[in-house]
Amino acid sequence: MEALSESTWDVVICGTGLQQSMLALALSRSGKKILHVDPNKYYGGPDAALSLQELEGWAAAHSSSDEQQAGQAVFSNSRIIRNDGAGKTKKKLSFPRAYSLALSPQIIYTRSELLAQLVSSKAFSQVEFQAVGSFYIFRPASTAAAAAAEEEEEEGEEVGSEEGQQEQGQRQRQKPSLARIPSTREDVFSTTAIPSRSKRHLMKFLKFVIDYEAEEQSGTWKPNADEPLAEFLRSQFKLNEELIGYILALTLRLDAPNVSTREGLAVIRRHLTSMGMFGPGFAAVYPKWGGMGEIAQVACRAQAVGGGVYVLGTGVRGTKVPNAAKYEEVEVELSSDTVVKTRLLVQGAGDNMATDGQKMSRLVAIVSSPLDSLFETVVEGAPLPVVAVVAFTQGSVPSPEGSSFEQPILTTVHSSDTGECPAGQSVIYLSTLSCPGASEALDSALSSLLEATAEEGEGAECLFKVVYEQLVSSGTPIDEGRTFTFPPSPAAIAYEDDVLSQVRRAWEKAMGASTKDEEVEYMVFADREAIGDDDVGS
Amino acid sequence: MASHGVARTTGPRTEERRKQDLQKIDKYRALEDGIREEVSNKTYSPKTFQLTTKLLELNPEYYTIWNARRRCLTSGLLSRPSASSSRSRGLSSGSPTNTSSTSYADALSSSSAATTPLDPAPRTTGRSGTTADEAAEDKKYSNEKENLEKDVGFLKEELVWTARLLKGFPKCYWIWNYRLWLLGEATKRFPVPTSRRIWENELALVSQMLTKDNRNFHAWGYRRFVVGALEREELGGKSMAESEFEYTTKMIHWSLSNFSAWHNRSKLIPRLLGERGADDKKRQKFLDAELDLVREALNVGPEDQSLWYYHQFLILNLINDVKQATIVPNITVEQKSEYVQREIDDIKDFLEDYDDIKWIYEALLEYTLALAKLESREATTSEKEDLKTWLTKLRELDPMRKGRWDDVEKEYGLN
Repeated sequence: MEALSESTWDVVICGTGLQQSMLALALSRSGKKILHVDPNKYYGGPDAALSLQELEGWAAAHSSSDEQQAGQAVFSNSRIIRNDGAGKTKKKLSFPRAYSLALSPQIIYTRSELLAQLVSSKAFSQVEFQAVGSFYIFRPASTAAAAAAEEEEEEGEEVGSEEGQQEQGQRQRQKPSLARIPSTREDVFSTTAIPSRSKRHLMKFLKFVIDYEAEEQSGTWKPNADEPLAEFLRSQFKLNEELIGYILALTLRLDAPNVSTREGLAVIRRHLTSMGMFGPGFAAVYPKWGGMGEIAQVACRAQAVGGGVYVLGTGVRGTKVPNAAKYEEVEVELSSDTVVKTRLLVQGAGDNMATDGQKMSRLVAIVSSPLDSLFETVVEGAPLPVVAVVAFTQGSVPSPEGSSFEQPILTTVHSSDTGECPAGQSVIYLSTLSCPGASEALDSALSSLLEATAEEGEGAECLFKVVYEQLVSSGTPIDEGRTFTFPPSPAAIAYEDDVLSQVRRAWEKAMGASTKDEEVEYMVFADREAIGDDDVGS
Repeated sequence: MASHGVARTTGPRTEERRKQDLQKIDKYRALEDGIREEVSNKTYSPKTFQLTTKLLELNPEYYTIWNARRRCLTSGLLSRPSASSSRSRGLSSGSPTNTSSTSYADALSSSSAATTPLDPAPRTTGRSGTTADEAAEDKKYSNEKENLEKDVGFLKEELVWTARLLKGFPKCYWIWNYRLWLLGEATKRFPVPTSRRIWENELALVSQMLTKDNRNFHAWGYRRFVVGALEREELGGKSMAESEFEYTTKMIHWSLSNFSAWHNRSKLIPRLLGERGADDKKRQKFLDAELDLVREALNVGPEDQSLWYYHQFLILNLINDVKQATIVPNITVEQKSEYVQREIDDIKDFLEDYDDIKWIYEALLEYTLALAKLESREATTSEKEDLKTWLTKLRELDPMRKGRWDDVEKEYGLN
């Protein structure tokens, strides 16, 4: 460890979460001396995917519900509930390494800056991206009955009355269900769940969103830019409550009811324009073998190949500036008692950071069924999806007191094809903003989801659950000259590109003056091996 | 998005690159010269065949070389179809709808003119066949069987090879031409089950191409040709109208804006209804369902011309006399009126939410005028009011057709 103190590092990065790892990738060809440490014994930090055994250790370390302590750590209040072998079917878990559960799973829209950067930096090919398929909205049993009544009125417009009657029969069974959220013209055409008039309203909105940044359209929304999106939809597009529910669900934001028109239009547009970009039938991708953690690993590997030094199991205990007048470097004390000198220290949200404490509550469950109905391809030639998104709008999940939970709950269901669990099982990730009753609501949502997807009355069983809270923020990084601290990720299940601009800021600090150099392009690298010419013919 | 953030550099070729290019040119020229020499000596040997493979992989557009390859096949790589073979059948030209496929059909029935029949084995006349004769017969039979298997294997390899070439050059007419020739040969030479299977694979290939690009009208035309072949008696086929109709339904649900799919659908209807033995009631139900389908589509895509074309097809089919193609032949003028009036009313609903799409106004104009004609009367006063409003809108939305709107105004006294 002494060798680390010998010279001054250009950058010391603490933590291998996605932001820090993307910074490492950005610097991987710069020739700078980089030391990258992580207090954990694994890569990925808060974006890591853990085996069951690792998860047990992690849960024990983050179980604190102490307000003060919990307020500063990224993860807190964690608890594991095992149920395998105890259920009706006596199904059991497989061995611990057969699982790779993501701590902060996120889907990545195809039209995202992150993918563009992974491509231009040549890191793309090392990650296996899989398709995210259908987006569903949860319909509680009572809503289903009301929808059936509405449909009867519109009976004349229905395509194929036989179909309509079948649907009615289904609805009358009073089972909660999942409805696919229509986001293309063909989706809206095919669905039988929306009456004709409403379809027209929805189409007008979808067409508007794709082009809303154009001059002619700005008059429609700019005056209401900071108003809630829901109100804008109601007044400008005459969408009924059900359609508003669909659109808010599509924002994939845990704070959907409060999303402003400005932000909401941007994320909806991202969803619509991402559809079909990399192939038919999907708008987003998910890295195999555990999500963002995979990207972090690939990024760190690139830095290592570029000369970076990696030390796991080591964190930063403290810093001090040796010569306040010179201010050229900072001394970093590592948890291994070594002191290193560096020109810039970059770290992530964690124990060193006081925050405003906004949190989200999470529940991750391993269930005993492959939930095949959620992973069907809808479009000819589409790849088999491995992730399905299910949105619970506010009020659709019952509360223990008998009322309903007034916050949205967002869920992603992962099939075993993600590599996160063995065949025959699936992993369900639920999240909502933390508040009293949040974890009960997540549990309730889980049961409702299993009920809605039950086939022939047999719902899937839950073999394993872990609950925890996670610090979130939409904040800005803390830039103190020689140290730069990334804030925690925003509370979204879709990766937000804004985070990348923070990475770029850190990169500019690390590179200093050389960023003005014309030949230096951000995240644009050539392949490391020489490219052979295309050999045509024999 | 085009460059993924990578700057494009188009500098001059390096000296090394230039050398490599010169090498490639030399290789190509050598291949070409080699083939030309063999051809001028009329040597269509396996060696010539190999040369054509190499050259065509570099440049499949070089159609002369395809001809050379065909000659290699018919000059020995494929066995000669024996004179006594009753499998000889060409596809007679006929129903394929577009002219290019008619010429393919012609090509098929008249190809292989170069092959000459084998001298038949000398038959011993007179008394009942001796053992030697029987043995000769048996040998001939097993030879034929061997040859057939060899030919099937060889042709299949050719199909696989051209399919691979198509991946790189999906629009090269010459490759498709060659494939069709291969399919024709298969039909002439092979027993029905074998050649049928080959045609079925072809249909699968077309479906794959349509999945990649569902508006490729060449592929739709080719599909009609392949389906036509599969339906022929010579290939033991029967009508595929139902499954093809289902296919257009699938394609439409995948992408509404698809002229070819709607067009194909319209072409299949008369045969479909005929095969279903649909009586008047069933035919009316069918028309109702089709109108519902296209109206639902128009509801979400009123700016889409292909949908209006199909709607117009249905209405014109209803009110004009289209003989065999009529969907509902036994229907009174009153009933026709009802239909048209209902469509006009439903389309008027669209104006509630879509007020600047010219197709809507155009359809309303056309159908209102058609309704009046159907009922052998002039447009009513209120209809005229509507027509004037719609014409004003059309002038605004489609100023390029001012002349046409002027004519309509004059003809129907709407000014």
